[in-house]
Amino acid sequence: MQKFVLRIIYSGIIRSFLKLIIGVKFDNANFLLQEKQFVIVANHNSHIDTMVLMASLPASIIHKVKPVAAADYFGKTKFRAAISNYFINTLLISRKSGSAIQTMKKALENGSSLIIFPEGSRGEPDKEQRMKSGVALLLSLCPNVKYVPAYMFGMGKIMPKGDGLIVPYNSFLIYGKPTLPNSNETQGILAQIENDMRELKNKEKDNNAGI
Amino acid sequence: MDKIFQLSIFENNDILIIVGLIFSLLSVVSLGLFIFGKIKPEANIKELKARTKSWWVMSAMFVSATVFSTKISYIAIAFLSFVAFREFYSLLGFRQSDRRAIFWAFLAIPIQYYLAYIGWYGAYIIFIPVVMFLFLPLHLVLKGDTNGIINSMARLQWILMLTVFGISHMAYLLSLPEIEGFSAGGRGLLLFLVFLTEINDVMQFIWGKLFGKHKIIPKISPNKTWEGFIGGVISTTVIGFGLGFLTPLSTEYLLIVSFLVAVAGFFGDVVMSSVKRDIGVKDTGTTIPGHGGVLDRIDSLAYTAPVFFHLVYYIAY
Repeated sequence: MQKFVLRIIYSGIIRSFLKLIIGVKFDNANFLLQEKQFVIVANHNSHIDTMVLMASLPASIIHKVKPVAAADYFGKTKFRAAISNYFINTLLISRKSGSAIQTMKKALENGSSLIIFPEGSRGEPDKEQRMKSGVALLLSLCPNVKYVPAYMFGMGKIMPKGDGLIVPYNSFLIYGKPTLPNSNETQGILAQIENDMRELKNKEKDNNAGI
Repeated sequence: MDKIFQLSIFENNDILIIVGLIFSLLSVVSLGLFIFGKIKPEANIKELKARTKSWWVMSAMFVSATVFSTKISYIAIAFLSFVAFREFYSLLGFRQSDRRAIFWAFLAIPIQYYLAYIGWYGAYIIFIPVVMFLFLPLHLVLKGDTNGIINSMARLQWILMLTVFGISHMAYLLSLPEIEGFSAGGRGLLLFLVFLTEINDVMQFIWGKLFGKHKIIPKISPNKTWEGFIGGVISTTVIGFGLGFLTPLSTEYLLIVSFLVAVAGFFGDVVMSSVKRDIGVKDTGTTIPGHGGVLDRIDSLAYTAPVFFHLVYYIAY
């Protein structure tokens, strides 16, 4: 049931709304169908980010992809947790206790794919913050899982942190290639991801010079 | 349902002629390009092909939004304004503290088009130049961020005038009262305006490519030449004369109006070119393959629509 609800919400309603009204330009994400499992690593500037990433996914795999979210915010009450688990398909992790990595690892072992924002909390519009090392630690524990870098531009202009008003803005999402980490050390993996993200950002700056 | 799809296209010969003309013209161009590509496979006409393909799509969208029902036309033109406004403001870059004023500027779009739809001319004509002009700065001031506020005030109003007020004249053509003995009506005027503006762009391009030598304004647009401009204006005036059955104008007025539409189209084009040069982009977007952004295509319309509307309104209504 949840599978179809997610499909209708994201591939149907939210995707067309983001495209036509908000002005988000989606990258083709059909290449994800070739992958059994992946971890999407994305920059984070707005609540819209999760919506955009979910709406960009091919409809048939939406229910298998879980955005990782902070339990202290999205799981503040039982009700809130249930709502975000059902409608956003979140995987709630606790930011403070050490169980976060274990929770994510377990989800990957159960066959889910993940969406992770390694910058943690949402930052200033169109500014990147330093990545936290959790994602690298997770990837080093699951060496067969590929990561997919995703870069979003403009989401912080649509709905910045601390402001509920949505204002349309011509923005975009682009994906990099699914990649296996070529090191098993946390620092090495983190550097690799940061490098990929930077490349993605520069590449798209050239292509979308007039967006 | 009957009301929405009146299908008056089949009852109105004038409209049928212009629609037929648009698609035969496109067919000839596509066929010409196809044959040219076969004869000279080494010639690089990829961009021309992409452009023609986009013309097909745009014409099909425009014709289906125009001929079936005027209600759909209002909504379609309002959406065009919306996309152009969004594209333009995203391009210019605003402060985070302008978000509320921008949101209100977005809300002005449905209001402006609703006023056009109900045909309340007095309110329609002052809504953006007066009401929004006074109202939007108020929102910026209330936010309290004065650093760069004049920039935001000026830019926001100018974008609104160009993409919403200017373009909405296309919609008001449909609300003009009926004139006895003039069967094409507002729909005919709209088709006339859009066809003439776009053919003017194309004609200026073709004349410039074939005979262009003397640059008009090399600092802004190095591709614009006197030969292209004059050839374009003359061709457009002649074509406008030939399409006179879509307007209620007499011959001499028809020639004057067509001439001024051609000149206005040129100015709309170079004004947008100068803006793009200032920001440092070649196109305003990537929405239309071969053309650029939506704004790249309707820049001349933002100029020709008010010019055409007010001339016709003054002369014939």
